[in-house]
Amino acid sequence: MSIQDTIRQTVTENPVVLFMKGSAQFPQCGFSGRAVQILKACGVNNFVTVDVLADAEIRQGIKDYASWPTIPQLYVNGEFLGGSDIMYEMYQSGELQEVLKDLAN
Amino acid sequence: MVSADYIKEVILAGLPCDYIDVQGDDGTHFNAVIVSAEFSGRNRVQRHQLVYQALGDRMRAEIHALGMKTLSPEEWAQQQG
Repeated sequence: MSIQDTIRQTVTENPVVLFMKGSAQFPQCGFSGRAVQILKACGVNNFVTVDVLADAEIRQGIKDYASWPTIPQLYVNGEFLGGSDIMYEMYQSGELQEVLKDLAN
Repeated sequence: MVSADYIKEVILAGLPCDYIDVQGDDGTHFNAVIVSAEFSGRNRVQRHQLVYQALGDRMRAEIHALGMKTLSPEEWAQQQG
């Protein structure tokens, strides 16, 4: 299976996936840490995280997958929603809470 | 070292902007406010992709982080009240 197929499978089989640097407990970058905080603030706690620092193939592959050059990247129901700026804007406007409302737990 | 002014020039060269302001003085972290008619009718992801496109591969590699606020001229006018 190609790396693109692996990524596609990960984001379609899990409702909320965050590709980030480090883990939810120990983010290795301020932007990734902020993304985790935003998800938690939306009431989502069982999201899947993928640490791109642990796998160079994933780290490059995820940038190609969404034509998006930066980490973190948030996927909801297989769709790329954005990086930490967009997450924050959507959180502030209430859009993110709306998108995630059925997935909060 | 990459400067905020240089990033502004590179973005302007690749994307027509009504307004652009880039801040940041540590050489790797920057914040930009960009207003462009190209953003009208595009969602946030598509807007950021346009800016990344304008920056090109080399710049993307040099900049660790570029925070972006992307507005269409109409949204910009609304914000100005």
